[in-house]
Amino acid sequence: MSRILAALTILLALLVAASLALGDVSLTWRDIYHATTGTGDADPQSVMIVFDLRLPRVLLALLVGVALATAGTITLAIMRNPLAEPGVLGINSGAAAAAMAVIVLIQDPPVALLQAAGFLGAAAMALAVYALAWRGSTSSLRIILIGIGLSSLATAGTTFLSAFGDIGSVQRAMIWLAGSVYDANMVKVRLLALWLIIPVMLAFLASRELDLICFGDNYARSLGQPVDRVRGMMIVLVTVLSGAAVAVSGLIGFVGLVAPHVARRLVGASHARIFPVAALIGACLVVAADLIGRIVLPPLQLPAGIVTGLVGAPFFAYLLWGRRHGHE
Amino acid sequence: MATDSGRAFACFALLCLLVLAAMIAIALGTVAIPPSTIISAIVSFDGSRDHILVTSIRVPRVIAALLAGSALAVSGAIMQAVTNNPLASPGLLGINAGAAFAVVSVMTLFGAGVGDIYVWFAFLGAAIAAIVVYALGSCGAFGRSPLGLVLAGAVVATFLTSLTTAVLIFDQSTLDAVRLWTAGSVTGRTMAQARTVAPYILTGLVAAVLLGRHLTTLTLGADASRALGQNPVVWRGASVAIVILLAGGAVALAGPIGFVGLVAPHIARMCVGIDYRWVLPFSALGGALLVVVADTAGRLVFGSQSFPVGVTIALVGAPFFLYLARTRLREET
Repeated sequence: MSRILAALTILLALLVAASLALGDVSLTWRDIYHATTGTGDADPQSVMIVFDLRLPRVLLALLVGVALATAGTITLAIMRNPLAEPGVLGINSGAAAAAMAVIVLIQDPPVALLQAAGFLGAAAMALAVYALAWRGSTSSLRIILIGIGLSSLATAGTTFLSAFGDIGSVQRAMIWLAGSVYDANMVKVRLLALWLIIPVMLAFLASRELDLICFGDNYARSLGQPVDRVRGMMIVLVTVLSGAAVAVSGLIGFVGLVAPHVARRLVGASHARIFPVAALIGACLVVAADLIGRIVLPPLQLPAGIVTGLVGAPFFAYLLWGRRHGHE
Repeated sequence: MATDSGRAFACFALLCLLVLAAMIAIALGTVAIPPSTIISAIVSFDGSRDHILVTSIRVPRVIAALLAGSALAVSGAIMQAVTNNPLASPGLLGINAGAAFAVVSVMTLFGAGVGDIYVWFAFLGAAIAAIVVYALGSCGAFGRSPLGLVLAGAVVATFLTSLTTAVLIFDQSTLDAVRLWTAGSVTGRTMAQARTVAPYILTGLVAAVLLGRHLTTLTLGADASRALGQNPVVWRGASVAIVILLAGGAVALAGPIGFVGLVAPHIARMCVGIDYRWVLPFSALGGALLVVVADTAGRLVFGSQSFPVGVTIALVGAPFFLYLARTRLREET
């Protein structure tokens, strides 16, 4: 456990350092050291590149990764379904429909409006799914089915707009939907960090509840857990976490699905152990995806959400199948 | 509908409803055509304007909708049985992602004017993606549980979708050419197109109905099915082959319509229970009905011949599905 944590932390640190160093203007380690500590002959240009351009971006990617992985871990536990990721609650389709509507119907919308629409769309869908699935109590199957139904409605709206909207707007919307951390700045990073800290702590504190609910509703209930209340609270946490991630970065898929699966294979089924490992994996994944998307085809920038699919998918296929050290 | 005779009656009623819906779909449109003319156009074609309209535009479109709907619904039911997962659909086998990637690459490389050939590329892409998913899912540490198939499907579909998106983001003309196709549509399908795909879909449907008994056993889980003398690996492979025939054909014909394969099997199970000997025919009829009604509604309500059925189908089907999920789903899991 501690070895895995240490290895992942080192990997993350290396990725962050590489993200600061590499790009259109490559900086040496010495430049970065001087720029961050303010010692020596800090070149104002490299200070600007590190602090105003690259550092906010890499921190934002890191936070988004943590949020997505944590939300994914919670969803996997409360839905008890290996395909469950926050999208099951309609979060992705709601955000996508809202963002597509804003981009296609309002020409050149301000970024803040787009982000608010993304978050509101996600939150409204999650709320609607939970409310419609409530009949005196909830069951994970009913939440999944209602999620499918409502998501398909929202997706129909998105498809309609993308089939008939102005082609330029549709393409802009697709870039946003693909998920990226283009326009990062320190204010955004601080806001997101403040927003995430409480839900992530709460999720970690709820590890034991999640361990219990994994056994199934009846077992959990007979062990004294108020299953419906726990599931409701957890859905609120998932909405807050991945809604915020979607608002700042669009739809970066795959992280929320895969980080918990890999973490579970590395450290077993206890959520107190899964959470930190999954969060680190998520952070590594998004930071690496953003870095690769920036440097592989300059001056084009591939959105991070596409890179997570292109690079992350084969890598995780290798992780999940290549080595047979799992417990399952 | 607890008894077999009740289920058989419900099946028959659904079939009658389907025939009625198909007749209405052929009769209504910009020009209304009386049923007598439709029958005479099919039985004794005389070359008049109405007869040409019926045989060359409306009937092929309805047949395409019937084929695509029943194929997607049945393959969805098979996927949900094989993976034991209510979230499974033909798309989980990489069918939609593979077909979309094949069509987008063909259009990018050779331009949008390649005509009907892209039908075959869609089929090919779907089949290759599905075979890769199955191969990945049945090797390695997960080989013997459906979890491997599920994760392999998610991984492959994500990879191909990302590739497709990467192409579309940088290539506006291909995006413009392909966006109606990706919504899923049966507009302008010809009899020749339907006839090329029909043998695959019909073979798949017959094979699926013959397989029903084994699917019910598969849903009990790998351990129970092995204890009952079934070799789950063999039947899982056979099921995947059938899904490739059905969903590959449907995607080639009508594009990636997502909703039917996911929802029609759930509706069927909520109505007739968990026995796949009944779920499969019910899904086939229900899926076909859903697509025909949605396509007709799109044509009539929005007054546009090219309104994609992929959009209307959710508008028609989702409220009904939500109602069923709220009221009929009593068993706690």
